[in-house]
Amino acid sequence: MTTTLTNHAPNHAPKKVAVTPTARPGGPASRKRGENLTGWMFIGPFMVFFILFLVVPIVWGLYLSFTGQTLTGRGGGLVGFANYQEALVDPDMWRSMGNTLWFVLISTVPLVLIALAMAVLVNLGLPGQWLWRLSYFMPYLLASSVVSLFWVWMFNPQLGLINAMTGLFGAEPIAWLQDPKYAMLGIVIATVWWTVGFNFLLYLAALQNIPEQQYEAAALDGAGKWRQLVSITIPNLAPTTVLILILQILASLKVFDQIYQMTAGGPGGTTRSAVQYIFEVGFTGYRFGYSSAISYIFFALIVIISIAQFAVASRKGLKK
Amino acid sequence: MMNGKISADSGAGLSRRTLIVGAAAIFGGGWMITGLTGCAPAGALAAAPGSTQLSFWHLLTGGDGIKMSALVDGANADSSSFFAKQTILTWGTPYYTKLAMASAGGRAPDVAIMHASRLPGYAPGGLLDEWDLERLAQHGVTEANFPAAIWNSGFSGGKLYAIALDAHPFILMYNTDIAREAGVLGANGQLEVMTTPAQFIEVARKMQAVTGRRGLSYGYLGDGAQMWRLFYTFYRQLGATMTLEPGKPAQVNEDAGTTALEFMQELLDGTIATAAGDYATALAEFVNGESGLFLTGVWELPTMQTAGLSFDAMPIPNLFGAPATYADSHTFVLPRQANLDPVAREDVYAFVADILKSSLAWAEAGHIPAYLPVVDSVAYQELVPQAHYANAVEHLNYDPQAWFSGSGSDFQTFFAESLQSVLLDKTDARAGFQAFVRRLNVLLSKPNPVG
Repeated sequence: MTTTLTNHAPNHAPKKVAVTPTARPGGPASRKRGENLTGWMFIGPFMVFFILFLVVPIVWGLYLSFTGQTLTGRGGGLVGFANYQEALVDPDMWRSMGNTLWFVLISTVPLVLIALAMAVLVNLGLPGQWLWRLSYFMPYLLASSVVSLFWVWMFNPQLGLINAMTGLFGAEPIAWLQDPKYAMLGIVIATVWWTVGFNFLLYLAALQNIPEQQYEAAALDGAGKWRQLVSITIPNLAPTTVLILILQILASLKVFDQIYQMTAGGPGGTTRSAVQYIFEVGFTGYRFGYSSAISYIFFALIVIISIAQFAVASRKGLKK
Repeated sequence: MMNGKISADSGAGLSRRTLIVGAAAIFGGGWMITGLTGCAPAGALAAAPGSTQLSFWHLLTGGDGIKMSALVDGANADSSSFFAKQTILTWGTPYYTKLAMASAGGRAPDVAIMHASRLPGYAPGGLLDEWDLERLAQHGVTEANFPAAIWNSGFSGGKLYAIALDAHPFILMYNTDIAREAGVLGANGQLEVMTTPAQFIEVARKMQAVTGRRGLSYGYLGDGAQMWRLFYTFYRQLGATMTLEPGKPAQVNEDAGTTALEFMQELLDGTIATAAGDYATALAEFVNGESGLFLTGVWELPTMQTAGLSFDAMPIPNLFGAPATYADSHTFVLPRQANLDPVAREDVYAFVADILKSSLAWAEAGHIPAYLPVVDSVAYQELVPQAHYANAVEHLNYDPQAWFSGSGSDFQTFFAESLQSVLLDKTDARAGFQAFVRRLNVLLSKPNPVG
């Protein structure tokens, strides 16, 4: 490889020099225009997809939410706020929203705490760093269908590894994904295993950016390991924690894949998420208009959560 | 690796370029390879040039899928004018949403499999085309070739939208070794006739005494379809009906619903049948000889044969007075296409007729063929245990018709949501049934999106 590089080097080096001056003949204005054009060309392909697959559907969806549109093309007329009125008193919609919020709550907390614990442990300087990093991050690379299939087997009441392990301690076998009491917990366990690696990586990177001097100074002042963790490490990680929280809450709010594949929303609707309800109303219930209205209510909910989050985060920022 | 400054500087750009070229070559090569392997089997199987390619969608996997593939290959081999290509999608919601979307968009397959019970959700919405009786007759398929109940299940609004391939009722399988030891076999070597719930429980208990584990296997946990199949069998045996008409409350028989559910509770007592069993558990239990009776669909027959179990099967015994059994049919439908190719449509008739006529192979998958010349053939009559439950055809009960009912539909999901706790936690059966009816009424009060 080295030979190839050296062989080709002389041929290309002069070209670079020649290209640069020709780019500058015009005045500053034309250069600016040129740069603008280049800029637009760069974002052009993205903008096409952005408008086609995000902006247009969002606007179209808003329009649909005021119609009785169905999958078969019937009922396309405007119905005013009828869909919204129906949704606001639809117990299934509120239940699915509640399930989503519950999932956000019980998945975000472990996804932050476990990631932090794993990062701190790995950062202690254990031997075989790459192995830890790899094995913690690896599940994140799997597709949701793989993760779901995998955990459906792990949770199998008769043949699953989880029950076999708890059985060693004399626990009764649990129908993890079929029992309303445990189904959401099972989903959360699978989700944490799957996605905790990403948060772990963010924390690990942040940990390695904390200046070593702070620890040295603290050690000189007689601070023990625990004191160092609480007074140096965790405060220094605050911006990362805020970032992770924001990303995590947004990711958990749109939960669908693993639930659909592991329990399909069951048993008895105890794991049906808001996104799944939107899907069911629209695609198995055929009611696109109503489904769009629920999407917009869910959207409003996310906006409220985001504003609250932003307010909390910026107040924290002000204190600093 | 880098020797000098110059080579390092320009080398960075170069190596990137080399990398891109290399990557392009690899991907290009990849394309070619997948292209080649992708084409090879299709090329090998494709029929004579000039034949029409028919797209055929279905949801049959496992043993059913293998049998269907063989039937399609057979039909392709029999004809020089068409070549049918299968697209197989996951059973239930994933299949039906895609089929509806494809039809709504006008780019549907030429022919597809649909459960007869799903017709009311598709036909009135203009998602399906009608079958032409004359053209069917030209291919030797007429009303006289089908049992009336099965033929009629293909109608919606007085028009024929579906040609049934089979009927697949819920049946009772039993382990003959265990039954013999329990002394519940009749003189003909088949399970003794049971006519009351008490008798059924007695037989199950005798079998339980032999296995030492369970008498009966029935999996329902988290599975609305399974709960509905058994419930509706007993509900109909009680002589009750269920009518779902949009704009009106559901017309149901609450007493019968309660009786059926209470009997199911009685079976799921932890001794006769496990109180909390899912589909796979029940299957494994029966296959491993840990129970003597198994309430299941005909489609599990190949599983038992593969397991080498000594077993037999019969229609679910009439315990409540009126012989009845839950069933559905796989049918052929013509999804609505925006640009209909008349040649392809003509070939679809030939294709469907060919598969119906060779549906003896389909019977091997457990299903009862709909096409009477097959059922009446000696070969089918000698097929055991299929022949032992073939008379279930006389008492088939399809789902109550509504745009939201049918196999793998929201209806079954709602049934599970309202009634799983009745079966699992033994909550009040009447209250559970009432909750289900309330749920139905909400759906019925909403505008019918297809009607």
